[in-house]
Amino acid sequence: MKTLIKISWRNIWRNRSRTIVIITAIILGLMGGIFSAAMRLAMEQQQFEDTIDNQVSHIQIHHPEFIANPEAQYRIPGGNEIAKELKEREDITVASPRMVTDGMISSANMNSGVRIKGVDPVIESKTTGLDQLIVDGEYFTAEGRIPSILIGRALANDLNAGVGSRLVLTFQDIEGEMISSSFRVEGLYKITARRFEERTVFVKSSVINELIGEENAVTEIAIFLEEPDNYRSISRDISEIYPETKVRHWADLEPSLYYSLEVLNESLIWILIIIIMAVSFGLLNTILMSILERVRELGVLLAIGMKRARVFSMIVIETTIISIIGGATGLVLSWIMINILGNTGVNIPGGEGLEEFGYASVLYPRIETSFYFEIAVVIVIFAILASIYPAWKAIRLQPAEAVRQE
Amino acid sequence: MKTVIKTTDLSKVYTETAVPVHALKNVNIEFKEGEFTAIVGPSGSGKTTFLNVIGGLDKPTGGHVVIDGVDIATMKESKLFDFRMRHIGFVFQAYNLIPVLTAIENVSFIMLLQNRPKAEMENRAKEMLEQVGLSDKLDVRPSKLSGGQQQRVAVARALASKPDFVLADEPTANLDTESAFNLLDIMAKLNKEENITLIFSTHDHRVIERARRVITLVDGAVASDEHFERAER
Ligand SMILES: Nc1ncnc2c1ncn2[C@@H]1O[C@H](COP(=O)(O)OP(=O)(O)OP(=O)(O)O)[C@@H](O)[C@H]1O
Ligand SMILES: [Mg+2]
Repeated sequence: MKTLIKISWRNIWRNRSRTIVIITAIILGLMGGIFSAAMRLAMEQQQFEDTIDNQVSHIQIHHPEFIANPEAQYRIPGGNEIAKELKEREDITVASPRMVTDGMISSANMNSGVRIKGVDPVIESKTTGLDQLIVDGEYFTAEGRIPSILIGRALANDLNAGVGSRLVLTFQDIEGEMISSSFRVEGLYKITARRFEERTVFVKSSVINELIGEENAVTEIAIFLEEPDNYRSISRDISEIYPETKVRHWADLEPSLYYSLEVLNESLIWILIIIIMAVSFGLLNTILMSILERVRELGVLLAIGMKRARVFSMIVIETTIISIIGGATGLVLSWIMINILGNTGVNIPGGEGLEEFGYASVLYPRIETSFYFEIAVVIVIFAILASIYPAWKAIRLQPAEAVRQE
Repeated sequence: MKTVIKTTDLSKVYTETAVPVHALKNVNIEFKEGEFTAIVGPSGSGKTTFLNVIGGLDKPTGGHVVIDGVDIATMKESKLFDFRMRHIGFVFQAYNLIPVLTAIENVSFIMLLQNRPKAEMENRAKEMLEQVGLSDKLDVRPSKLSGGQQQRVAVARALASKPDFVLADEPTANLDTESAFNLLDIMAKLNKEENITLIFSTHDHRVIERARRVITLVDGAVASDEHFERAER
């Protein structure tokens, strides 16, 4: 066995440049594959975090009717108390009561349907970090006569408005009567989801509560969890405790996000498998060429009594060694690459375009360590598969024929 | 003297060709222990075929090859590998050696396949390389050796594992006159000293005279079988 490995090792380096070419192909294939997998993962992760943090949170609670008619009439009875009780729970980090309603926003010559979120500025900055998203103007600091409103950058564009502009909100009060009121744009926020930016405005809950005519109105409770993975069991739990409310978790609220994450986790390894398969064909070709060049020599080995099984193993070992050198180097270099890029981030050229679809323009690729091991296993499996055909060719040689060959 | 190989009515027909080729026709030959035999004959007379068949590299289409009391003509292929490794040494016309192994590793190779103890293996390999006059080339790879030197390493390898007999198909075909004589002299010497039965084919008249028995094949049949007393050189 030791000798077999020694011979295989030396055989590999007989045609040095050919071996280096195939090893380089393995390395580049792996780095490319892992890079694209890590970028896809980072993209989805980024979108996931943005969506959860800035938009849907982990769990939302509403009045059952509110889902179809997001109006002030459908408030959560005792919403503030429920939020307080939930906050006491160990597994919940944030339970933020909001007064949310659909309405219309109008500038001098344009109007647009929006979701109005009445929030507590202090709680909101602590939970969703809304204050961090302001790119122009201020975050609920003005004390003027006209109340403040924060709108998305995209909406400001659509309405031709800016910081300081006066806009009118129209929505229903608790009785279902239409009311209108003026607001002054105090700040513009920016998030990665353009649709959300265009459709969502923030005002102080105290202001909107006064307008709709109820001091402690709550139509939505947004919840963040200590252990996000437990979202299913906790939301079931909550809906049992408050059966008169509608409890939904993020996967209910954003099914497309949920499924794309599920699919992605499955598909990443397949991307790599396809790349490794392609590289394996190159490897197969390389080994096959080396067999054809060695017909006489292999014939002599078979003639002097080297068993076919050993010749077979020799070819398999040669292939495996090449794949291990290429695979190990490729994985280590990929690991280094991902670690560096995971810290510095990767700028996506034309990233601004991506933002419309909810993707960030700078990504931080990251891959779990276990993924590298999975790939390593795949590489070795495919290398062995790639060696079977050439090795089979080699042992099918008839020694008498092979040594006759000129 | 003990019979090493005995063929009876040995024949071989190649049928893959358009017209079947009768490469061997009822060959009956006996080789005794310690013989040094040349197989001669014109090109296409069946020398290589004969050596391949008695060496178990090829199956005869008729007749028997009995070695050590066993008929290898009917032996299963998997058993033949082991049989060849234990009983028969081979020297081919060229490209005998494993290019990635040094001279001494090449000579040790068959003993290695036989799982001989390391020390014994090394001593024997060194001894054999010394016998063929290459004790200064132990760690040299074949590509750094001349054609004659490579053939001498091949002879050393064939004899190192002490087989019952050694088959050499045109071992001098690619060598210049001096190297050819040198190789044959070494083979003759080893045949005597190690008492190993040696059978080689050639159509090189220069080296035929080194053999003590000359079998002439014509069209796959034995045309003559002569024994000579050679003066010791
Ligand atoms: N694999 C084969 N298929 C068909 N015919 C073959 C095969 N090998 C050899 N022959 C034929 O068998 C006959 C004997 O060939 P062989 O090689 O044994 O002769 P040889 O005496 O060794 O010739 P040379 O001196 O040229 O080496 C020839 O007619 C040859 O063409
Ligand atoms: Mg021949």
